[in-house]
Amino acid sequence: MTLRVLTVDDSRTILAMLHHTLSNAGFEVLQAEDGKQGLDMLRAETVDVVITDINMPVMDGIEFIKNVRATGQHNSLPILILTTETSQDKRDQGKAAGGTGWIVKPFDPEKLISVIHRVVH
Amino acid sequence: MSDLDDFKATYFDECSELLTELEEQFAAIEEGERGADRLNAVFRAIHSIKGGAGAFGFSALVGFAHAYETLLDYVRDGRIELTDDVVHLCIRANDIVADHVNAAQTGEGLSADYGAEEKARFDALARGETAGEGENGEDMGGEIVEDFDIDFTPVMVNLDAPMAAGEAPVEDVFEAAPMTVAEGQWEIRFTPHRALYARANDPLLLFRELAALGTMSVRAIMGDVPPLSDFEPFAVYCSWEITLIAPGLSESDIREVFEFVDGDCDIVIAQAGMVPGFADLVPDIAEPAAMAAEVDAEPDLSSLLALTEEEVAAPQEPVTPPAAFAPEPKAAPAGSQDKFEEAPAISFAALADEIKPPAPAAKPEAAPVAAAKAPSSNGDSEEGGGRSVGVQSIRVDLDKVDRVVNMVGELVITQSMLTQQMDETLRARYTELVRGLEVLAQTTRGLQDSVMAIRAQPVKSVFSRMPRLVRELASKTSKKIKLETIGENTEIDKTVIEQLSDPLTHMIRNSADHGIESPEKRLAAGKPETGTIRLSAEQAGGNILIIVEDDGAGINRERVLGLARDKGIVAPDITPTDEQIDQLIFAPGFSTAEAVSDISGRGVGMDVVLSNIKKIGGSVHVRSWTGKGCRMTLRLPLTLAVLDVMLVKVGGGPYVVPLSSIVETMQCSRASFERVPSGGRVLQVRGEYVQVIDLAQRFELTSQQNPDDQFVVLCEAEGNQKVALVVDDIIGQQQVVIKSLEENFESVDGIAGGTILGDGNVALIVDVQGLRTTHLHQNAA
Repeated sequence: MTLRVLTVDDSRTILAMLHHTLSNAGFEVLQAEDGKQGLDMLRAETVDVVITDINMPVMDGIEFIKNVRATGQHNSLPILILTTETSQDKRDQGKAAGGTGWIVKPFDPEKLISVIHRVVH
Repeated sequence: MSDLDDFKATYFDECSELLTELEEQFAAIEEGERGADRLNAVFRAIHSIKGGAGAFGFSALVGFAHAYETLLDYVRDGRIELTDDVVHLCIRANDIVADHVNAAQTGEGLSADYGAEEKARFDALARGETAGEGENGEDMGGEIVEDFDIDFTPVMVNLDAPMAAGEAPVEDVFEAAPMTVAEGQWEIRFTPHRALYARANDPLLLFRELAALGTMSVRAIMGDVPPLSDFEPFAVYCSWEITLIAPGLSESDIREVFEFVDGDCDIVIAQAGMVPGFADLVPDIAEPAAMAAEVDAEPDLSSLLALTEEEVAAPQEPVTPPAAFAPEPKAAPAGSQDKFEEAPAISFAALADEIKPPAPAAKPEAAPVAAAKAPSSNGDSEEGGGRSVGVQSIRVDLDKVDRVVNMVGELVITQSMLTQQMDETLRARYTELVRGLEVLAQTTRGLQDSVMAIRAQPVKSVFSRMPRLVRELASKTSKKIKLETIGENTEIDKTVIEQLSDPLTHMIRNSADHGIESPEKRLAAGKPETGTIRLSAEQAGGNILIIVEDDGAGINRERVLGLARDKGIVAPDITPTDEQIDQLIFAPGFSTAEAVSDISGRGVGMDVVLSNIKKIGGSVHVRSWTGKGCRMTLRLPLTLAVLDVMLVKVGGGPYVVPLSSIVETMQCSRASFERVPSGGRVLQVRGEYVQVIDLAQRFELTSQQNPDDQFVVLCEAEGNQKVALVVDDIIGQQQVVIKSLEENFESVDGIAGGTILGDGNVALIVDVQGLRTTHLHQNAA
């Protein structure tokens, strides 16, 4: 069964690179450009893992994660935070909101795939 | 590598959008709008630029953007106050980011210390507020790439990726390795907290990953596992002891497995025999194998239940590891550890009265994909997969659009040819055909407008580069200048926009260099100390007007005329009008900079502006008010492709005059032209004297028309100046497709371009404004 990944990022460059990396690794990729779009997509689609950026317009990554968890529908959905944030602070916020793990930008394709496997059954 | 090039192209596109966004945000911030929205937008823009730059290994850009971003973050948090000084520092920083982006794009290196001064100021600001927290190089579980790897290629995606998705590495993970208990035997005690499950982490996955590192055996230590009816899926009922044998495995390798659950569990990792009370486990392959077999079912529960019956649970004591084994605190701000302990903001109430399978990661059935939302997985890097809001858009290569534009151009020509072929007898005979042709004409027009709309872009993309130019000019000339932009959403054909940047740069340089006075002079003249340059765009009929105005000293006519006479541009015996003198600044080879400054001098003057603008079928007009300022107007065609024209005959050949500049047409006799002392001729039209330009004479042709039976096309040039063009005959109106003379032949004075008529003949397009200007020089010569 193909794993489905939802990627949420406001940078076209990053979205394009994620799309390329993930689809080459055999994942099915859904994409959204901000947290609100991501939530809308989660209402309509079932995914196995979410990768989200923190800094986004409309609804940022932290709010997005909180909202996903608050629905009660996605308690066991792994959410990876994609971020260049090297400050522990942001990462803590992401975790406090319910983030499962993180990926540091710029991501190495191998690393990205292995981190996804680390959190997905 | 074409993929990489594609990503880079996407990235640089995105950068230029983000840089434009930064200009806009700071324009508002300078006006005093300092709300969180503005700051967040600025932060995000820099953040995105940095993110992409990291991916491509543009380390200089990453380094600078990172320092700048840190500053912005502090400003956002209120740790640094956004004073005017900080705003100006940020504006300077934006320019440096733009230079770094440009350097990355062109591959031209910047000096190693470029932006170092600003970086030092960021650090100083940060230090002033937050002692020693400037750079954050704390250990992040070994995954942080502080020094971005230059060799990193974002598309080194090997197609036989680490493992095909969905295929867990379980089978081979648990293969028995030869048992030699030696160094490299680790003992791990692991007790999850409730929060670990709340964040969708799962011990099973951790064990799976540990198992991949070596030979593992796991023992569950049961607490009070309640009957199933009371079982809470997210409660913690047991801890685990793990023995891992892997020669050469370091503690940090193991820590990395637990990286994501750090703070959400108690964990002790030690060399075998070092953990007090650790069960002496001889790794037993059967157990993990059993686990493996269950992996896709509900491993936690089944292995848990199996163990419950077989094993006597060791009394569960809270594990308080000796200090030596306490998890190393990260270099995190104090108190962050406590954050993990907080109950997550998630209500489990909904779950409490439901009995759910205890596997925390029970997967919901995959819903069928809505076709409309399924992203194409053909590796199209531009795929925006399942956009759910906003305007649907696609990205198309400009080449493709250009091809369509050209085809439409040809269609217009063909359509006008067909219409021309219909003489009166045919019209009378084939009414249906005539109607069909009329419909075709309309459709062609509509098609053309639609295609042009596709290529139209707001002038914002050019305007947004100007604030920086003005800032730099102001600092170079020690003047105070502010730039106002108006109408930046006016749309023009992309090809026109691309040609705009240079002329605009020259005009603004000219205003800053020659127009705006020094603060002292301004104050002395009773003007505000800060000069204003206003850049505006508006649509006027079939044209776009781009106006550069300043409130400076205006053109020094005496000096301009003196220079023009010195250079032989104006004959000594001619006294041009003020308006004609103003236009002289565009005369070829004319530059009023007394010393060639590096600002507007560089050996080229405003004549470059004129020739650039003429190249795209536009015209330039200047108007000056001594002591009050100067206004330069660019009149540009909305599109480069098609023009409504009046077809005329001169010396037996066809010429076209742009309809947009024609006021009226009339018949008259040459006898009615009056001579003026300068040698020119004028025609009186309704009490106004209008300069006459005889096209036949001007283009060195022989008029084939009776001198008493000439036609005059009265045109309006820039600045409401009228000019009367003498032609042999007027044929009629039509649309033509403009072909560039420069591209196909060379630039010719008085001619704005060429076109191919319906009958296949080439007609030249008359440049009305250019004729007026050159006429003046001719008289001078």
